[in-house]
Amino acid sequence: MTKSPYETLGVSAKASQDDIRNSYRNLAKKFHPDLNPGNKEAENKFKVINGAYEQIGTPEQRAKFDRSETEEAQGGSSQPESGRRGPFYHQTQQGGGRYTHSFEGMDDDLLNSIFGQRGQDELYRMDVEFKDAVMGAEREIGLPNGKKLRVKIPAGVESGAKLRFAGQGNSGGKAPAGDVYVQLNVASSPLFKRLGDDLEMELPISVSEAILGGEIKVPTIDGSILLKVPSGVSSGQRLRVPGKGVPGHKGTKRGDQFVILKIMTPPTVDPAFKEAVAEWSKRQSFDPRASLGK
Amino acid sequence: MIPAKSGKRFTIVEVSEITGLDRTHIVMFIEREWVSPPERDVLDEEDVARIRLIRELQEDFGANDDAIPLILHLVDQLCHLRNQMWKQGQKEP
Repeated sequence: MTKSPYETLGVSAKASQDDIRNSYRNLAKKFHPDLNPGNKEAENKFKVINGAYEQIGTPEQRAKFDRSETEEAQGGSSQPESGRRGPFYHQTQQGGGRYTHSFEGMDDDLLNSIFGQRGQDELYRMDVEFKDAVMGAEREIGLPNGKKLRVKIPAGVESGAKLRFAGQGNSGGKAPAGDVYVQLNVASSPLFKRLGDDLEMELPISVSEAILGGEIKVPTIDGSILLKVPSGVSSGQRLRVPGKGVPGHKGTKRGDQFVILKIMTPPTVDPAFKEAVAEWSKRQSFDPRASLGK
Repeated sequence: MIPAKSGKRFTIVEVSEITGLDRTHIVMFIEREWVSPPERDVLDEEDVARIRLIRELQEDFGANDDAIPLILHLVDQLCHLRNQMWKQGQKEP
């Protein structure tokens, strides 16, 4: 059963014309579609309220309605929709109208601030072993919010690099989550020094190895190798171990390892060795400082 | 979503018939710039709907002449924001 216009307007059948008008005004104010654009429920309610008011809004209409009520028996009247014709104003502005055009551009910032809003980005620092930074690795870290993050450390990453994990940060309520940034702090190595994609290390060798040469076991970033040291090398000489530097990344080829020789004299010199060297040096004229000039 | 606008034009006399408002009121709305027709004395359906809203604000809501431009301004802003939000919504993946 449909509501009577009195019920729709929330007044009694004995209400004064002023009461009806006030009640209609209050309801219409609340549900007017132009003040609630896009709210279908408000629009429907407004139409019903309007229709009810058209039935009993004036003494003449009301008398006519009351007469028909008694004639048609209780509640038999159908509720006419509002006689209001044509679109509501807000409907003429939908998708842009002449009257709303003047606001164009003025609230872009506001809208961006609403729609562009994301949860805050977060920055974490992560210590990375030298080897992991050179060779690449995968490590898991725990975030304060309890989430676990698998961090893929790219081969050849430099200290200070930030890795971005989109959407892993805090969400700002309904807004999309912010990003997590993990800044890598690469530890230094006691053995290796990084020079771009090459690695450099100092290799101590004995006097006899320097003089006689031979194959020496040398650590590299991914295991030891045997390095052929030629006879007669000097301290500071750089030997290249190809392809033992930073693995190729972003299309580069793998770097090299450079070995800097450092000849070590035994802390206690064997007297026999000392004597032999003294004997030998009398018979040779090598001047290691010849290049320094007289 | 975007209603096609008919492009219909109305004279003040026609608008008076449609809205039930007398012509002097309609002329006054235009003079006060509550309604700005695209051409002098030639109104389109946006104007007609706006005039109907003004009439409802005055007669049904009891809004006085000072409140009308304020309410219209706020309604226009609301409509504009709704349009912008709708556009933004279209942009979102």
